[in-house]
Amino acid sequence: MSKRVLLHVGTPKTGTSYLQDVLYRNRRLLASADILYAADRFDAHFLAALDLMRLPWGGLEAEAVGAWDSLAAKVRDHHGTAIISHEILATASRSQAGRALESLGHGSGTEIHVVVSARDLVRQIPAEWQENVKHRQALTYGAFLDQIQDPERKSRIATWFWGVQELPDILNRWSHDLPPEQVHIVTVPPAGGPQQLLWKRFSVAFGLDGLDLDLEAERANPSLGAPETALLRRINRAANRELPPADYRPLVRELLAHQTLSRRSRSPRLALPPDAHPWTQQVAGSWIAEIEQRGYDVVGDLHDLLGQPPVQQYADPDHPAERQVSAAAVDAIKALLLESARLRQSEDRLRHELQETQVALERSYLRPTYRWREKAVRRLKASGAGRGLLKAYRRARGRSSRPA
Amino acid sequence: MTPRSEEDTPGVRRAWGWVAHLLDAGTTPWRDWTGEAPSRGRVLPGAQQLELLRRLNLAGPPSPALATRVVEASAPGRGRPDLELAGAVDRLAFGPPPVDPADLPDDELLRVAAGILADDVVAAGLPDPPRAANRRPWARRYRVVGDALLADPVRAELVARGRPPGGRGSVILVLGTDLGQMLADAWTARSLAEGGPAWRDWLDPLTRHRTLPPRIDLVRAARAWSDRVGPERVRIVLDPTEIPRLVGVRRPLPGPPEISADAVDLARRVGQVLGLLAVPPRRRALLHETLLPRLVAAGGPQLVVPDEHADWVHTRAVRMRDALLRAGYPVHGDPDSLLPLGRTGVSEPSDAGVLALAMRLVLEEGRS
Repeated sequence: MSKRVLLHVGTPKTGTSYLQDVLYRNRRLLASADILYAADRFDAHFLAALDLMRLPWGGLEAEAVGAWDSLAAKVRDHHGTAIISHEILATASRSQAGRALESLGHGSGTEIHVVVSARDLVRQIPAEWQENVKHRQALTYGAFLDQIQDPERKSRIATWFWGVQELPDILNRWSHDLPPEQVHIVTVPPAGGPQQLLWKRFSVAFGLDGLDLDLEAERANPSLGAPETALLRRINRAANRELPPADYRPLVRELLAHQTLSRRSRSPRLALPPDAHPWTQQVAGSWIAEIEQRGYDVVGDLHDLLGQPPVQQYADPDHPAERQVSAAAVDAIKALLLESARLRQSEDRLRHELQETQVALERSYLRPTYRWREKAVRRLKASGAGRGLLKAYRRARGRSSRPA
Repeated sequence: MTPRSEEDTPGVRRAWGWVAHLLDAGTTPWRDWTGEAPSRGRVLPGAQQLELLRRLNLAGPPSPALATRVVEASAPGRGRPDLELAGAVDRLAFGPPPVDPADLPDDELLRVAAGILADDVVAAGLPDPPRAANRRPWARRYRVVGDALLADPVRAELVARGRPPGGRGSVILVLGTDLGQMLADAWTARSLAEGGPAWRDWLDPLTRHRTLPPRIDLVRAARAWSDRVGPERVRIVLDPTEIPRLVGVRRPLPGPPEISADAVDLARRVGQVLGLLAVPPRRRALLHETLLPRLVAAGGPQLVVPDEHADWVHTRAVRMRDALLRAGYPVHGDPDSLLPLGRTGVSEPSDAGVLALAMRLVLEEGRS
C-alpha cells in the first residue's frame, strides 16, 4: 500500500502536458527516490482516466479497457509515494472520484493529496474553445461563449467546460472528506513572468525539490493564433464528415495544428473578448473567496486567477482578417503537399519492394522442379492412396507443408 | 468548508429520506417527499440516478441489489454531471444548478440506464458458440457483401452449415433492398458495431453529400469486386429468395433481424459504454450475440427514412439502379426494388421509448 498518493486532477491548459512529460521521462530517477510514476506509455494516465469515467474518446477508449484498475493496483503495490496526473480527471463525478480515491487506498491508511493546477479564465476560455476546435468541433467562438455563459449549462460544451474549469466544484467532487492541508492548488503565474516559475510551483506541490530532473520538454500542447484557429474550424466544417478520427488526429491536429499552424507566432493571438472580461472577474472573485474560506494549501497566488486586463486590440476569430487566414491556409497546403510527397515516396518504395518480392516468388515458381513437384502433388491428391502417401511423406520429412 | 450535500441540514436529511424511500421501492416524486433520514453514504446520489430508480420502482420493482447499483452508478460519457436535488441544497455561485429530478430529460436518465445495461451485458458474457458443421469441400464457393444486415445473417448461417465464404472462383453476391431500408440498415449495423452518432445526426448530413455509406453503395461494392475477380462473377441480389439457389443450398436462409428503432438507439448507447469495458471484437460480439437477441425479442416499430428526405432517397435509388443496369451485372430480383417503398415505421427513435426499453431490460436482468 502506498504511503502517500499525489493525485493531480487538472485543470487542462495549465502546463499539464509539460508536467506529465517531465514525470514520464524521469520515471526511473523518480523511482530511485521511491516515487512511483506508473506509466508504460506517455498517455497511460489519460487512458486510466478514460476508463475510470467511461469516457469515449474517438476510438482511443479501446486501449483503455481496465486501465484504471491496473494503475490503481500498481499504486497500491508501491510502498512509497505515487503520483497520478491527468487533467480530464477534473470532470469526474462525485461517485467516480469516490471510487478512484477508494481504489488508491483512501480510508485504508494511504494519505491522499489532491493537486489542482488552475489558470485564470481570461486565458482558459479562449484556450478551451481552441481545444474544442482541435477536437473536431466547428462551433464559432461566439456560440461557445454564449453556451458557457448560459446559467443552465445544459449543452455538452458548457457541461464539459465547467466540469474541467470550475475550481470550487472540482474541489468539492475530489476533496470532499480530505483535510484541507491535503488539498493543494497550484496557480499558473501571469504570462510574461519568470520562466520556470510554474515548474517551481509544481515541484513544491509534488515534493520534487532536490531531485535532478531532466526538464527539457519533448511534448507540449502549443496554441494557435486567431486566424489559424478560424482556419481549423473551417477545415472541421468541410472535412469532419469524411475524415475518420484515426486520420484526423495525425493529419489535422498533429500535422496542421501542432506542427504547422502553431509556428505562425506573429499572427494575432486568440483572446477573451473585452466585453466578457467583467464577467470572468466576477466568477474568479467568487472562486477566490470560496477557496480562501476553505483553507487549502495554495502554491502560488490565488489572485493569479483574476488574469490580465482586457486586450487593447481584440482579433475576433469569427470575423478574421481573410488575408491572415489565407496565409495560414497556404502554409497548411504546403504542409499537406510535403506530407503527400513523403507518403508518395514511401508508397513508391513499398511498391518497389513488393514487385521485387513478387518477381522472386515467380522465379521460384518457374523452376521446372517446382512445376514437377506441383503436378505430382496434384495427382497424388486425386486418389485416397496418393493422399496417404503424401501424408506419410510429410510426416517422414518432419514438417508440415500442407497448404494454409 | 464541507461540500453542500454532506452538510447535516434539514434539506440534506430530506434527501437521504428520499433515498431510503426509493431503496424501499418507493415511488413518491421528490417534490412531494417530506420525510427525513440520516445520511447513509459518503455523498448523496445524483438526481439522475435517483429519478431513474423511482421510474424503475414504478415499472418494476427492481431487486434490492439492482436498486443499490442504480444509486451507486455514475452516468458514463459526456453529459451533465451528477446533479444535486433542488430543495436539498442551496444554489451557490458555482457548480451546476440543483434540479427537480422530475424535470430531467429522458436522455439524462438513459445515460445512467445504458451504463447499467452495459455492465449487465458484460456480466452475462457470450453464449456458447454454435457447433460448426464440418466443412463441405464440394460446396459452391461464394461471398456475400452489400447491406450488412442482409449479408451477415446469411454468411453466419452458411458458416454454421459448413459452407464458409471465399475460395477460388467464388461468386460475389451483392445483397441489397430498397434504398430507404438500406439506409436504416447501415445505421443499425453501425450502431451494433462501433457506435456513432444518433440517427438524424448521421442521416441529415449524409443527404447533403454525394457518397453513400460504403456497405450500401451497391455500385461501389460491385465495381470493387468486379475489379478484383471480373464482372462475370458478380451478381446483384435484390430478391432474398434467390440466395439459397445461388449459394447451392436447399433450406431457406435467415433474413435480417427485425429490430425496432428504439432498440437500435439503445444498442448504440450501450455500445458506447461497452467500448470502455471490452476490446472491439468482444464489444461487437457482446452486442450481436448477447444484447441483440433481447432487443429483437422486445419488438416495436422499425425505423424508416423521414418524409423530408424521400426525394433525395428516390433520386439516389434511381441513380443506383441505372448505374447497376448500365454496368451489366446480372440482377436477381426486380431492379426497381431498389426504389424506396412506403414502409410503415417511425422516422426516428424516441428518448422515452428507448428509456422504457432500457428499464425493461435492466429489470429483466435483475430478476433472472
